[in-house]
Amino acid sequence: MRKKKVVPAIGPIASAAGVFLVVLLALGCALLAVLGVKSGELAGASAAPLIPLGVFAAGVPLLLVWLRVIGWRGDAGILGAVILLSGLGLTVQFRMGSFARGLESLQSLAPFAVGLAAFAAGATLTRKGKGAWTQPMGWVAYLAALGVLGAVMALGRGYRGGLYLAGNISPTEVVKPLLVFFLAMYLGRNAEAFSETRAGIPLPSFPALAGLVALWCVPMGLTVYQRDLGMVALLNAILLVMLFAVGRRMGYLALGLAALAAAGYGVQYLPSHVQVRFDVWLNPFEDPTGKGWQILHGLAAMYSGGWWGAGLGGGVPQAVPIVTSDFIYAALAEEVGLVGCALLLAAYAVLFSRGFRAAGAAATPFERLLCVGLTASLATQTLLNVAGVTKALPMTGITLPFISHGGTSLITSMLTAGLICGLSDNGSGD
Amino acid sequence: MPEFVTELLGLLGGGAGFAVLKVAFVVFFGVAVMMVVSAPSPSAGKVTYGLLRVGTAALLLAVLAYQATWQVGGFGNRAFVRFLRRYNKRPNAAQVQVVRAPILDRNGMVLAAPKRGEVWGRVYPLGEAAVHPVGYFHPRYGMTGVERLFDPVLSGYSDDESLMAKARGVFTPRADEGAPVTLNIDQRLQRKAYDLMAGQRGAVVVMRPQSGALLALVSSPGFDPNAPGPAAADGRALPAFNRAVQGRYPPGSTFKMLIAAAALTEGLSPAYDCPGGGYVARGSPPIRDSEYYAYQRNGKVWPGWGRLGMRGAMAHSSNVYFAQLGVAAGGAAFNRMMANARINEQLPYITAPDGSLRTARGNAPEVTKNATLAQLAIGQGEVLVTPLHMACFTAAIAADGTMPRPRLGKDEPPERLGTLCTPQVAAQIRPMLREVVTGGTGAKAEIAGLEVAGKTGTAQVPGAKDHAWFTCFAPAGRPNIVVTVLVENGGFGATAALPVAREVLKLADTLGYVRTAEGAGGSSECGVQSAECGVRSAELAGAVP
Repeated sequence: MRKKKVVPAIGPIASAAGVFLVVLLALGCALLAVLGVKSGELAGASAAPLIPLGVFAAGVPLLLVWLRVIGWRGDAGILGAVILLSGLGLTVQFRMGSFARGLESLQSLAPFAVGLAAFAAGATLTRKGKGAWTQPMGWVAYLAALGVLGAVMALGRGYRGGLYLAGNISPTEVVKPLLVFFLAMYLGRNAEAFSETRAGIPLPSFPALAGLVALWCVPMGLTVYQRDLGMVALLNAILLVMLFAVGRRMGYLALGLAALAAAGYGVQYLPSHVQVRFDVWLNPFEDPTGKGWQILHGLAAMYSGGWWGAGLGGGVPQAVPIVTSDFIYAALAEEVGLVGCALLLAAYAVLFSRGFRAAGAAATPFERLLCVGLTASLATQTLLNVAGVTKALPMTGITLPFISHGGTSLITSMLTAGLICGLSDNGSGD
Repeated sequence: MPEFVTELLGLLGGGAGFAVLKVAFVVFFGVAVMMVVSAPSPSAGKVTYGLLRVGTAALLLAVLAYQATWQVGGFGNRAFVRFLRRYNKRPNAAQVQVVRAPILDRNGMVLAAPKRGEVWGRVYPLGEAAVHPVGYFHPRYGMTGVERLFDPVLSGYSDDESLMAKARGVFTPRADEGAPVTLNIDQRLQRKAYDLMAGQRGAVVVMRPQSGALLALVSSPGFDPNAPGPAAADGRALPAFNRAVQGRYPPGSTFKMLIAAAALTEGLSPAYDCPGGGYVARGSPPIRDSEYYAYQRNGKVWPGWGRLGMRGAMAHSSNVYFAQLGVAAGGAAFNRMMANARINEQLPYITAPDGSLRTARGNAPEVTKNATLAQLAIGQGEVLVTPLHMACFTAAIAADGTMPRPRLGKDEPPERLGTLCTPQVAAQIRPMLREVVTGGTGAKAEIAGLEVAGKTGTAQVPGAKDHAWFTCFAPAGRPNIVVTVLVENGGFGATAALPVAREVLKLADTLGYVRTAEGAGGSSECGVQSAECGVRSAELAGAVP
């Protein structure tokens, strides 16, 4: 080691710990406000709904200790943003009464604990620029993704336009990081081929392209068959960003825009359940009590929130159908206002920005692409969800990372963030 | 949970405690975000994905900006506000949503007002008496009448749905209350006229002849504006149908005013023999005076009026005379008069920033044959008018030949619809109509000291009782008010329609509309508050639960 890099005055873990403490104060205020509003209902109630928040308060310090033990020196912004977002998510779910059943079902408690563990595992796996060894695992990841999709197809049951396993577990969430692993492996190995351009138009060699197309078509086909429009959009967006990231060829992004335009034009040829989503998006007021009901109630929640919101516990977000999962952002908008939403999106922006930045500093092309893909996965998910709830884009049925109710969604988001967090430490800081 | 904890939390949940926690949350949340933004990061690598970083942030910002157009600018979107009004069940809805402003009569009395605390609640002090012009505002049946036309004004939201308007909405605070709409209606006249029509189907129009201000616009039967359902379902009496502006009726003898004006305009003022056997234009059945049939019923033979001038013919409403006069004036003169009278047009009677309410189109066929002309000249055949059309013709005769545009809205400037005839012709017809009341078919309309002038009409309806008309103005010398009454299947105009007009005129006189010209400080203020006097807007907030 020739020269020691400048180490910030405050270590990344200390910095994240500071964020954690302030978040804890914010959550304490929110908690008291919610409990205060609901004090009438509390007589005789058990303290069980508070346990997930207790897990947060105890689990995050444990995570920080673990990161210290493994010697992690990555981006404190990423770690802090995840602590902030997941803490807020827990509070909002608490406020929405998602933990009301308390200890009776582990479902309410387990996801966050498992999520913290998944974060720790992810960070451990990829820390200090040592993630490259997982590259051959790309094939395993690919086969695992196909296995999950196939299993859901064989065993799952339809519910609200998606397929779920028993207990409404939606294992397809895991497909996202698995396929990112695969793409990072495949594109990393064919980096030169996918950097070829002629006159700005990407022109990868035929074998590399044909291989990608053939391999990509299988999971796409399965997802389309499951009528999961959101997942198709999400996975293709990730693919495009990763293709761009290989050699930073703008042509791929242009290609993406062209594909988007073609998709917009081709809507009329798509199956009716997709067309319905487009119709609702364009004209929600034509069927306000039917198809437009959810999106319009989401907008009504936002409208009643105004600039500053009703305060956590002060609004009536239950008026929005299925508010705790896809539409949790509308509940937040009602209770924390546009200002709170801006803060929330700022936290997301830090996470994504630092994630892409960390990718640039990654040790190997594989890790670089992995970091880009994982960050793009979270970013696309956030954008599609928020844009869908605000009616900027059609609804895609995609959850909001860290905030939406749903075990697999939260665990997958935490695992993804953990991997990014680990990748942000490329080992050069030692 | 221990009781003292619950009590302590109860303190936090209320008012100030909650507000402090809300602010503290935002502050801590903001501090945490700032800490994350400024958190240390390892040094950047050779590759910087600037485009992805800036692009993601820009997309998030764009979505947030779009969100703002709903969250703080949603008020600019009419369809959205309508959705909120109808379906947003939040208890704080009344604070978030704009209170719908009242509709007032010319003296500031309430015709429609919000029910406090209810998004769709609406109070209509006149109830069914004014439901046709005012309309209703109902969560299930939507809106009609002035309530519909002035919805954006009353609800205080903009109709402009452009992106610019949405952006402006983000920075302009939402209004608390819409702007009230004032009508020319005098609720006392409206109520009285409606009561007089009780049990009958028909319409009453009370109008200022110079300015077209509509003091009453009544259609009977009415219905409860807070329960429009049964009215919409009633297919026999058709209470939902606004007869005053949508009903099309043969004008009968009232049409003779226009024929007289057409003939005088042509310089014709002849005297004709009016034999008892009637008049036969080529190819038409004989046209006879109504006395012919009255005599026949009594087993006698009608000798005829003999030689009649226009004045006498008008007073006695002689069909035989006016059939001849119409034929003499000719098809061209008739067609010109129909065009001047705007019979084939929909008359706008109230205009709003985004539209207007209009009457139905009347019907006046292009005439070439004398046989049809003879029929049309006595207001029979294919000619149809609405009661509001009829009031406008009467106003034109009363106001020197100029036809005013009927105005339900008080803030609209007076306009002319056109010229029916010259002032000289109008001045010649007015004494004739006065004679109808002093010594003709409308004798019962006379009110001491008022000099009523008018015209009766009894329009034949195939297979049913005749429609009864009476249209009049007063005082005959310098008319200040026009009253037009139609009673569907009421029989004789003089017996069914005239008494209603007479009572309306009497009240109008008491209220000061007849003897004083418009703008001369006529209408008296309501001195004593009583049920009859109506409700003032200011009192309503307290008076209505």
